Amino acid sequence: MDLLHLILATLAFLGGFVLAVVSWRRESDRPHGLNIPLAVAGLVFQTLFLHERGQLHGRCPITNGGEVLVFVCWSIVILYLALGRAFRLSLLGVFTMPIVFLLQLFAIVYLVLADPGARPPTRLDPWLELHAAMSLLAYGAFALAGIAGVMYLVQDRQLKSHRPSRLFYSMPPIRYLSTALVRLLSIGTALLSIGIVASFFMDVRPAALHLFVSSAVWLVYALLLVVHAWKRLPPKRLAFSAIASFAFALAALAAL
Amino acid sequence: MSPVSIFCLGVNHKTAPVELRERLAISEHSVPGHLGEICGLDGVEEAVVLSTCNRVEIYGGAGDPMAALDRLVAYLESHFAVAPGEVEFYRHADAAAALHLFEVASGLDSMVLGETEIFGQVKKAYALAQSTGTTARRMNKLFQQSFSVGKLVRSGTSIQQGSTSVGSAAVDLAEKIFGRLDGCRVMIIGAGEMSRITAQSLLSRGARSIIVSNRSYDKAQELAAELKGEAVRFDDWENKLDEIDIVISSTAAPHAVVHAAAIRRVMERRRGHSLFLIDIAVPRDIEEEVNGIDNVYLYNIDQLQQIANEGKARRERQIAICRELIAGFLREKGIEALAALPDGRGGEPGRNHPDPSGRPLTHP
Repeated sequence: MDLLHLILATLAFLGGFVLAVVSWRRESDRPHGLNIPLAVAGLVFQTLFLHERGQLHGRCPITNGGEVLVFVCWSIVILYLALGRAFRLSLLGVFTMPIVFLLQLFAIVYLVLADPGARPPTRLDPWLELHAAMSLLAYGAFALAGIAGVMYLVQDRQLKSHRPSRLFYSMPPIRYLSTALVRLLSIGTALLSIGIVASFFMDVRPAALHLFVSSAVWLVYALLLVVHAWKRLPPKRLAFSAIASFAFALAALAAL
Repeated sequence: MSPVSIFCLGVNHKTAPVELRERLAISEHSVPGHLGEICGLDGVEEAVVLSTCNRVEIYGGAGDPMAALDRLVAYLESHFAVAPGEVEFYRHADAAAALHLFEVASGLDSMVLGETEIFGQVKKAYALAQSTGTTARRMNKLFQQSFSVGKLVRSGTSIQQGSTSVGSAAVDLAEKIFGRLDGCRVMIIGAGEMSRITAQSLLSRGARSIIVSNRSYDKAQELAAELKGEAVRFDDWENKLDEIDIVISSTAAPHAVVHAAAIRRVMERRRGHSLFLIDIAVPRDIEEEVNGIDNVYLYNIDQLQQIANEGKARRERQIAICRELIAGFLREKGIEALAALPDGRGGEPGRNHPDPSGRPLTHP
């Protein structure tokens, strides 16, 4: 049943992506009317999947690679729905949906081929759960910041080229994108900070490599924000930095 | 129920030059009087007058639309100093009349394809006729449906989107850079007509303040007063640039007046804020290298015109989609104003939709 919910969520995101492309091909500036309902439907199925996996393990469902991917996707979608609309980043869906679809496709393949099954904890540690959940939510925010960075660079290039394509009219203003970038980086860094602080209260101290990698990711984002607050980085440089930082964070996650 | 049919008679920007349209134009305050007289014509039972700068149209209900249209033409010729035969009015009856109104309300028949003002004008014309008491079931149904179709077309297509003029292209680009223009500050360098028009477009979309600089300070003051802005001396404009978001330059100088070096200095002080430069002058006022500076976006008159041309083409490509939507609407709902005509011209949904060619009784 849990896998069925994950498949339904993945299909909803695929549908959202297809509709966004259809809207774009029809030269509509607005996203398709079903885009948001599909994202919400996808979120509901993701949540059901995570709930069922949580019930299976008796703890936060991030016990294997597939679940981690779904959890990151869940945080991306929830942040997109909660923040994307507020920042008028409606087209973020066009960029978000394929990424979420692909990541979840990997998760499905992983769970079909190598699902390790239930992994109940010997003893439930709420600090460990908090650490893991906050860290992955932070990754969701960093992923969205990276996507907003890509959108900023695309929009900047379109404006500089003097030949804006159809995509240009569907994209948000670059000022909103740079504002969203800073907010998403701040949210992600704050969530990661909570995750790292929580790790100090865990029953079992994290491995040195785990601590080092998490701290390195936190340091990269914290430094980026400090430099931006101090020097006011040009938005283009900030966009590049958000993309590069997320690539680094992803590599760090893979290393763990 | 009497076998009342609906009709439309009119001229628009495609069929009559402005000299004729202005003679036929019916001012808002005189519409009720004319509506009363039109409804007094033999056989005419309902009437709505739509008079805008691009069209004068009369919609109505009559037992015999052909005879009513002839009487209406005679009425217009006698009341508006038009010689018989001088104006070739288009005439539509029944489904073709309804389809014409639906296309008008959707902006498909407008000079600027997809413009939204016409929708409000149609609503106003109907409200005026309704308050005058010259509408009944047919016109009420017809106009209510035209509002539904207008909304459907606007929400279901991109017909009203994209720039169609240099001014609107500049405004659309500004909105893609800054988002809402509320609070954006605009500087005009050179008090030309195009600068004034572009600045007015920006002000109408919420731009906050205007600074005008011109070699002739008197002219700068004159334009600043008109735009409720501030005039600055020509050798002082660079010092004001730190606070500006959008610059419109249109001087008659034979050489560049805005140099890349000056913009680089300004951008160092702006802490990441974008700057949008619109160069309408020929020869150009702003050095091309400026566009290479981070966060600075420079557009000249040709580039804006190109965007406007693409916007027009884009709207034209939407026409087929709009017509599909209207046809779908008519297949589903039919034309309610023609419903239950005893001779079978109306009836159930799907039966009374017009010939897709929309062929009128006379030309367009």
